[in-house]
Amino acid sequence: MNRMPSVILLLLLLSLFLLILNQTVAIAASIEPYDSPAREEERTSRLLSPITETDPIENEQPPLVVVQQKGSGKEDPAQEIPDEQKGFNAEEKEEEAVLMADPLRPWNKAMFLFNDKLYFWVLKPVTLGYTYIAPEPLRMILNNFFDNLRAPGRFVNNLLQLKMKAAGNEFVRFVFNSTAGLGGLADAAKDLLHIQKSPADFGQTLGYYGIGHGFYLVWPMIGPSSPRDTVGYIGDRILYPLSFLSFTEISFGVSSVIFVIETVNETSFQIGDYEAFKEAAIDPYVSLRDAYFQNRKKAMEK
Amino acid sequence: MKKRLAGFLFILGMMFPLSVFSAVPLETVKAHVNRVFEVLRDPALKGETANKAKRGKIRSISEEMFDYTELSKRSLGQNWDKLNPDQQKEFIRLFKSLLEDTYADKVTSYTDERVIFKKEISLSEKTVEVQTTVVTKTSEVPINYRVIEKNGEWKVYDVVIEGVSLISNYRSQFMEILANKTPEALLETLRKKVGKGPTR
Repeated sequence: MNRMPSVILLLLLLSLFLLILNQTVAIAASIEPYDSPAREEERTSRLLSPITETDPIENEQPPLVVVQQKGSGKEDPAQEIPDEQKGFNAEEKEEEAVLMADPLRPWNKAMFLFNDKLYFWVLKPVTLGYTYIAPEPLRMILNNFFDNLRAPGRFVNNLLQLKMKAAGNEFVRFVFNSTAGLGGLADAAKDLLHIQKSPADFGQTLGYYGIGHGFYLVWPMIGPSSPRDTVGYIGDRILYPLSFLSFTEISFGVSSVIFVIETVNETSFQIGDYEAFKEAAIDPYVSLRDAYFQNRKKAMEK
Repeated sequence: MKKRLAGFLFILGMMFPLSVFSAVPLETVKAHVNRVFEVLRDPALKGETANKAKRGKIRSISEEMFDYTELSKRSLGQNWDKLNPDQQKEFIRLFKSLLEDTYADKVTSYTDERVIFKKEISLSEKTVEVQTTVVTKTSEVPINYRVIEKNGEWKVYDVVIEGVSLISNYRSQFMEILANKTPEALLETLRKKVGKGPTR
């Protein structure tokens, strides 16, 4: 327990480092890093450069940063813009592609492929075996248990983002589920009190305070992330009660086993999702990158 | 007499707002989705052999539900003009095939999910977002359908799942592909992808 202050200090230092890194990468890539809604206005007003035409035959290297050309170039008064197209351009501004720098593309691509193999060769077979042995009610109960453990994290992050009602909800949920829900085995707060989960994580909190993603970063096993979200992930794991214990009472071996059970149990409800995603995508790597940032952006806007 | 007339007009007046807020876009999407669920729950279409018939039916429903031209145009974005009219036609055909297969695959894997239609919000003059939640065993997934009005009909031109817009996602993929390859190469990639057929 006496390691806690130093860990928190480390987190603060990392956040500071991120802030600096963010600005450096932005200057290097000449693009505004994606960040909090407050800076949204600034970003949309900047002129974005058109896509550089690379020679399709010789140069196979994809651009580091993919930039979308805005509709402003189309306003030729001589041209009759049909009504449909007008609406189309206006909405494009609303649905603008979430731009994300990908300077570490070779690493990211390698990690993406690694995770892909890891899923098909390890995680999926193990999970299918697990599903065969463990009946669904048991898996649901375990799911509730692990989810309840993440409530303190949700509580703290909602608090940090000044979402008082959500923080209050999470507090009530945690107490109620841990007691009436028998140690978190049942989501009694949802069933009886009708209080829904209010997701909030540390990466989101960092974003709330203006720290942008920086760039796309893929980790083995954890998957898509960014420097900001990586610090967020570390922060979340610290607030995870089992981590508290693993600092003190449980051995590393035991906490690893719990981590595996948690992951496999969660995956047991998601078999098929990744496969369907790959099937729908023409370039799964790009699709995942885009989906990740769109999803994170949406989470911030809640 | 006057009172009765007033009363009658009052009732008439009350009815008017109801027809204005009849939520046509929401009802349209709801009707399509319900039809899909009916197909999924049809006891006559259970089992592996009936799968093909099931998917065929779902494909025809999605044909009415989605505006594939609009979907295709918006997914290519600025790159739409890089394709000549023939390529554009082929693109719509291939993209439609890809999406229909994916949708049919995903939907036929549903077991006991419920869809709750929440509300609709106006995006622009001709577009509306219909918000739904799909309740699965362990989570609630927000799925929003963006519909556009053409010739009095509301059709879907984008689906936003957990904040991820389908056309935005494809746009980023196509942007990257077309930054390095010609439209013809893109069509070839799509042809190969669609030609593989359903994997399940």
